[in-house]
Amino acid sequence: MRVALSARLSAWFDQHRRSACRSYMEMRRRPLATLMTLLVIGITLALPASLLSLLKISQTMTGGHQQTASISLFLKSGIVNEKALRVATDLEQRPQVDHVELLTSADAMEEFRGHSGFGDALDALDENPLPNVLLIHLLPDSSSIEIRKLATELKEESVTDSIGYDQGWIERLQAITQAIRRAVQALGFGLGLAVMLIIGNTIRLEIMNRREEIEVTRLVGGSDNFIRRPFLYIGLIYGLFGALIAWLLVSILLMLVSGPLGRLAELYDTTISLTAFSLHALLLLIPIGISFGLAGAWLAVSRHLSSINPE
Amino acid sequence: MIHFENVSKRFPGGHYGVSDISLNIENGALAFITGHSGAGKSTLLRLIALLERPTRGQLLIDGRNIGRLPEKEIPAHRRNIGLIFQDHRLLNDRSVFDNVALPLHVQGFPVREVGKRVRASLDKVGLLKKEKVLPITLSGGEQQRVGIARAIVSRPPILLADEPTGNLDPELSREIMELFLAFNQIGITTLIASHDLDLINKLGRPVINLHRGELT
Repeated sequence: MRVALSARLSAWFDQHRRSACRSYMEMRRRPLATLMTLLVIGITLALPASLLSLLKISQTMTGGHQQTASISLFLKSGIVNEKALRVATDLEQRPQVDHVELLTSADAMEEFRGHSGFGDALDALDENPLPNVLLIHLLPDSSSIEIRKLATELKEESVTDSIGYDQGWIERLQAITQAIRRAVQALGFGLGLAVMLIIGNTIRLEIMNRREEIEVTRLVGGSDNFIRRPFLYIGLIYGLFGALIAWLLVSILLMLVSGPLGRLAELYDTTISLTAFSLHALLLLIPIGISFGLAGAWLAVSRHLSSINPE
Repeated sequence: MIHFENVSKRFPGGHYGVSDISLNIENGALAFITGHSGAGKSTLLRLIALLERPTRGQLLIDGRNIGRLPEKEIPAHRRNIGLIFQDHRLLNDRSVFDNVALPLHVQGFPVREVGKRVRASLDKVGLLKKEKVLPITLSGGEQQRVGIARAIVSRPPILLADEPTGNLDPELSREIMELFLAFNQIGITTLIASHDLDLINKLGRPVINLHRGELT
């Protein structure tokens, strides 16, 4: 049979469209069973996905600090702005220092007034009790030993009143986050396998239900690929819709925590956009859902299809 | 066209479906296979369609020994054969049209071609008006004709019918047989297993008689 390539191609697309449609209709025929399966898949995928989202949010909040580890150098009260600037320029020559920012006592006052709500009380003061501060931003690759060494040196400087650096807790938090992240990834892998088995089992039942159709298709010369195709589409559809349900669940969760998280983010001087995390979860879930769906379908099909032969 | 050379089919357990069969069916012939139940009529047809593989001997179709055909090439082989069964083997969850279209779909025929061929095929068996109904709503004779339409829709060179009139009354049986004669007229090699000796004798075509798996 010689047919133009375009016709062959359109026939090929038609075969796929037909398989996909049949699979979809087949699922629609048993809406309750299909919905239950989809919910199970959705919840299973939502669990690791929401944990990952929360982790990512916490990393974003603490991540800023990791990039620019800094030391606050509180200057003695007699040091005027010009002198402070000169000290800053000197400090910038040091190897670990990226740049130095001067936070004058006036700036600090403004900021304190804004945040603390002690505005009226501060007005009552004759003079500004806050010192000039140098914010020393370090190079991102500075090790904690280097930072500690630098801090000790700075403490000895004549202009220094005191030194503030608080790196430890961020490191600890990051270590904990890292550990949790690993655990969540492992959990996610396990639950992904579970999804694969759920879909595989659903498709095994589907194959049994459509035994007669498979036999007749073999009788009229249907290839294994042809017979396999609708079942792979079922896996794909389950994976895709399961992922969408999971995404919906994650989004609901993010909405629920958005209030407290927003306040938390304020304390860290950052804002977080939950839409971004929701979108990130979607982009993560859809390919994962589809691949586990297809894998589950493939598993079921390769195990059970060959056992069905026409009598 | 179809050439059996000392072909035997021995089932697991030692029972023989057919034993040491040698026969030749010419291109474009129409022959009947007769014999009691269990004489090997079905086995003979199933061997040709590769629903069974011979355990001994050579089965040549168009000069190819299909007994050794790799598993992967079986679908392509079956596309050259129209199969008709006593119990029709129609799919009751889809329309007559979709049933008849199945062989074309598995071969990837273009959509427009499918419509044309399915209607031509239904027209030949006189069921053009029934394309939208489900097979279950049709009478036994009509269902069998849908099965025949499905078997001929891709215009295979070989037609194999296993007791196609088994459940039909003499009048309908005759109609069905006449359909086969008409297809044979246009060159389709046709093999029909049947024990309806009255009908077969009236038609005056070659008869292959089997007894306990052997030619008599």
